[in-house]
Amino acid sequence: MSLKHVNAVIVGSGAGGGVVAKELAEAGLSVVLLERGKWFTPFDERKDDLRNQRTCVLGNAFGPDERNPRVYVDASGHERIVPPTYGAYSNNAACVGGGTLSYGAMAWRFMEKDFRLRSTYGTVEGSTLDDWPITYEDLEPYYEKAEWEIGVSGDDSNNIFRAPRKRPLPMPPLPPTREHQILKPAAQRLGLHPFDIPMLRNSIPYNGRGACMRCRWCVGFACEVDAKCGTHNTVIPTAIKTGNCDLRCECIVREILTSDRGRATGVAYYDSDGRLQEQSADLVVVSCAAIESARLLLNSKSRLFPNGLGNRYDWVGRNLQGHAYTGAIGLFDRETYDDLGPGASIAVCDFNHGNSGFVSGGLLANEFIRLPYQFASRTTAGIPRWGAAHKNFVRRYYRSSISVMGPMQEMPIFDSRVQVDPKVKDHWGIPVARLSGHRHQNDLLGTNFMSAKAEAWLKEAGAATVIRSGPISLDGPSGGQHQAGTCRMGSDPKTSVVDKFCRVHDVDNLYVVDGSVHPNNGGFNPVLTIMAIAYYASANLVKTRKGMGAT
Amino acid sequence: MTNDRKFLRLRVIAPVLLILFATFLLPGASLYYSYSGGKSCTKCHEIWQPYRDWHDSAHRNIACSECHGDVLTLDAGFHLKNIRQLAAHLRGKIPEQVRLKTDDVLQIEKRCAKCHREEYASWSAGPHSASYAKIFLSKDHNTQTLLMDDCLRCHSMHFQGSIRDLVTPLNKEGPWRLTDSRLADQPAIPCLTCHQMHRHGDPLARPPATKPDDAGPHEELARPSLALFDRREQDYVSLDRLPLPQMHEGTRLVKISPDRRQALCYQCHAPEATAQVGSGDDRTPIGVHEGLSCFACHEKHGQTTRASCTTCHPQLSNCGINVETMDTTFKSLKSSHNVHTVKCINCHTKGVPEKKGKNHEGQEVSRRNPA
Amino acid sequence: MQPSLRLNRRAFLQAALTAAAAAGAGVACSRNGSPWRFFTLDEARALAGMVDQIIPPDQDAGAVWAGVVNYIDRQLCGPYQTLQETYRYGLEAVDQTSQSTYGKVFADLESHQQIELLHRLEDGKAPGAAWKQVSSAEFFRYVVDHTMQGFYGDPRHGGNREGVSWKMLNLPYPPIRGRVRSDLPKPRSG
Repeated sequence: MSLKHVNAVIVGSGAGGGVVAKELAEAGLSVVLLERGKWFTPFDERKDDLRNQRTCVLGNAFGPDERNPRVYVDASGHERIVPPTYGAYSNNAACVGGGTLSYGAMAWRFMEKDFRLRSTYGTVEGSTLDDWPITYEDLEPYYEKAEWEIGVSGDDSNNIFRAPRKRPLPMPPLPPTREHQILKPAAQRLGLHPFDIPMLRNSIPYNGRGACMRCRWCVGFACEVDAKCGTHNTVIPTAIKTGNCDLRCECIVREILTSDRGRATGVAYYDSDGRLQEQSADLVVVSCAAIESARLLLNSKSRLFPNGLGNRYDWVGRNLQGHAYTGAIGLFDRETYDDLGPGASIAVCDFNHGNSGFVSGGLLANEFIRLPYQFASRTTAGIPRWGAAHKNFVRRYYRSSISVMGPMQEMPIFDSRVQVDPKVKDHWGIPVARLSGHRHQNDLLGTNFMSAKAEAWLKEAGAATVIRSGPISLDGPSGGQHQAGTCRMGSDPKTSVVDKFCRVHDVDNLYVVDGSVHPNNGGFNPVLTIMAIAYYASANLVKTRKGMGAT
Repeated sequence: MTNDRKFLRLRVIAPVLLILFATFLLPGASLYYSYSGGKSCTKCHEIWQPYRDWHDSAHRNIACSECHGDVLTLDAGFHLKNIRQLAAHLRGKIPEQVRLKTDDVLQIEKRCAKCHREEYASWSAGPHSASYAKIFLSKDHNTQTLLMDDCLRCHSMHFQGSIRDLVTPLNKEGPWRLTDSRLADQPAIPCLTCHQMHRHGDPLARPPATKPDDAGPHEELARPSLALFDRREQDYVSLDRLPLPQMHEGTRLVKISPDRRQALCYQCHAPEATAQVGSGDDRTPIGVHEGLSCFACHEKHGQTTRASCTTCHPQLSNCGINVETMDTTFKSLKSSHNVHTVKCINCHTKGVPEKKGKNHEGQEVSRRNPA
Repeated sequence: MQPSLRLNRRAFLQAALTAAAAAGAGVACSRNGSPWRFFTLDEARALAGMVDQIIPPDQDAGAVWAGVVNYIDRQLCGPYQTLQETYRYGLEAVDQTSQSTYGKVFADLESHQQIELLHRLEDGKAPGAAWKQVSSAEFFRYVVDHTMQGFYGDPRHGGNREGVSWKMLNLPYPPIRGRVRSDLPKPRSG
């Protein structure tokens, strides 16, 4: 059964897909936006501290559910089927808005050097590190568009390392927390350059929605006051309002359909009733996040594309990255906790680049509010695990500790990859993603360095004791919510999957718009970059469509 | 032929069964329920916990059926729901916790009124009896503030669903309507917002014929039923667990009354996270009224404040002006002197004179009036 | 809640367990004649002994009072269904180990003996035969983590009775949060 033909079908309504849907719908294209999850509301999880996207010991509040397993292959080659609640699964929310419904909402622009890592640091052994085919300057206007359209608060004017911006952020930062007030002078004394983290969160009423009321349940949860800005409450409603965008939830795309001439003709998907549907379209945009986007391309096999779409040179699914998180927790003699959410508010970018002994680095920032279970279940060496000592520790330090953490820019590795599993299938009979690989030695050097810097910052801030994160394990692939890299953007079709406009090299009406296209993932949370690339790719898409006189 | 006969037989048998059912089973079941005081229902039933709580509650002398209905209740929807629950129970789909649905809460509301007439009348006349329509379809509000899930924290907190399921469309243009129009006249802040029926307590003795005049911290404090219905937990948080804030005026710590009952008020008439007096929806009194409990002036069910000044004040103030005719919002809502924040200096702009007078125990005191 | 803490440890444990079990009555996912959904009475006793060493009662309530056994019992019939066997074998092995070492089941040991034994489980040094089906270190890790969830997590899941751990951490619930009303004119009066 086939449905009414449309100009564009977009698979995935997260940070990338949501933006593309709005841009295309506003340009007058007819759009079908397919989302595998539901359109959740805050009532669905009601600030459940054991069942959300950050702490999912009792389940993921916003998906995916157990009908979507994956296969994980560890360093010794042992493979196992993992459900979405396991760390090894590398889960990202499956719902309208994707991760942006429940994220912490840090809104970073990558730095200029992040687009030029190879030119800056040279080749790195064991890594496929390369420059991007676009520069920071190419993306700058689109970063700005994302900041103003979706809404970012903060103040990075004290960040001397930031890439130049033409326009300030649209909203001021939230007033500082106690942690902020403790950490800021300490950083300054150390000669660092602390500033207010840019966040996709209303600090004042903006875009018709109210301001953050500073509750303690932010990252991992849906916002009850709608102050957290995701695609679900900004661009997607705008797209729908144009009348050109049809959002269909609980639709599982099986494959991208292609013609005999090698062009994409639409997608085949299972609708919410489990019926197989075919949606034909002039162009197909894949925005499922790095693991699922690669899986969809690999699962779309045909005579012309026996190894999957875009995979002529075996690059789809390669270079799976995420972020190695590291830092330290400082224990204080005085109370540091003031119950003002979201918690994270101050950062330094002094260690993103220019460190000696390893490539790149990452930001350091204070952590989001750690809810009691998160705090109590911390298993860092040096903290009692159970018994009276543990209870005393939690009671003594829950309100008197600060955690400083940061994401280390990982080195892309060819063998860290997404494949489709030859045996295991999901509920719909579609082969699942199979994750395998390892991390680069550089990630370990970088994280050790960053934890030491976090420790120094906390000590300077007056912590009586500082406990550093343990060394990261290099076994197994990275990924997680910051997953990226599997459909690399590049000029050479032999060493990349999409061109600089996110178009798959050998299928001229198929696009991948999400973190998959990042050749490397920055020492930053990647969401604003995903949004900026989505605006940038959409602008080009709309331009070329007009040139073709389409519709 | 055989099919016809089968059909005929069905037509005869079905009504007979129905009549038998109505004559024997229903009253029988009713008797079974009422005879054991509800205990029989709990034998194999997920309502064990509520039953146990009820048994220790102030309402222990009131049968389950008084509030929850029984087999003789004339409401098809009620029975349908029970049958669905029974079916689920038999299939082994047993809920961990039995919760009141939107409809149940509104049903129970009417039953409260049967006994608590005075309280009900007072609540009905006051602002807390605002209907769903008044709260959610207000043009003044909706054109300025986008409706959001957090609205349901303090209004219609028993509604089972998101704001999206309650009001449509969710924009600032309108016109808005309730998805379920039957809710329009229902109260958005029903009794069960602040009262937990099954909470531990003793049956109330007859209240004294006249209530004491000195409302405030000395009055009989928290009724055991006082608890907040927390929408996130879908459960009550009892008064003793609810926080009372430490309020600030700038950097100054503001004195607030120790009256625990205010913890309920503060949940919704709440300051912003920084706990500044007057921020958000806060009404913490400062100035001449600092330290007073909400209940010193506001009647607990009706929230009326009329005639409340004289419960504390001698009619004439220090300046010889009748306190109720002073230029405050008590006299007129248009006044710029909010009773919650008014200070002597607001009228005595050139400085507050020192005043000698007698305190309530009759001793001579000289005091500087609070600025 | 506080007065019950003054009871001696064992009597208190029994009382709290009975109360918690009663709360679970009638919603059993197994019909084993036990008031629990999953556990037998003996299993629940052993587990109660363990969790009250993992988060012992002191000036604040311990894991048993907070309903941690109820929490775990409930999750084993829900999201943790796959761990049913682990608990069944694990708790049996705990009592076996206890019997072979001290001649008593775990729940009847002195507090210091319980702690000693738990350390041995944690280090994977518990006697072999009983731990064939499941490793003692792995089982202990589960119990510790689930105890933390049941004690510090949301009361809606059957633990953290009356938000006792949040109260211990001086974490007000529900927090008092008014909305920023800068988009509305201030109401003129209350």
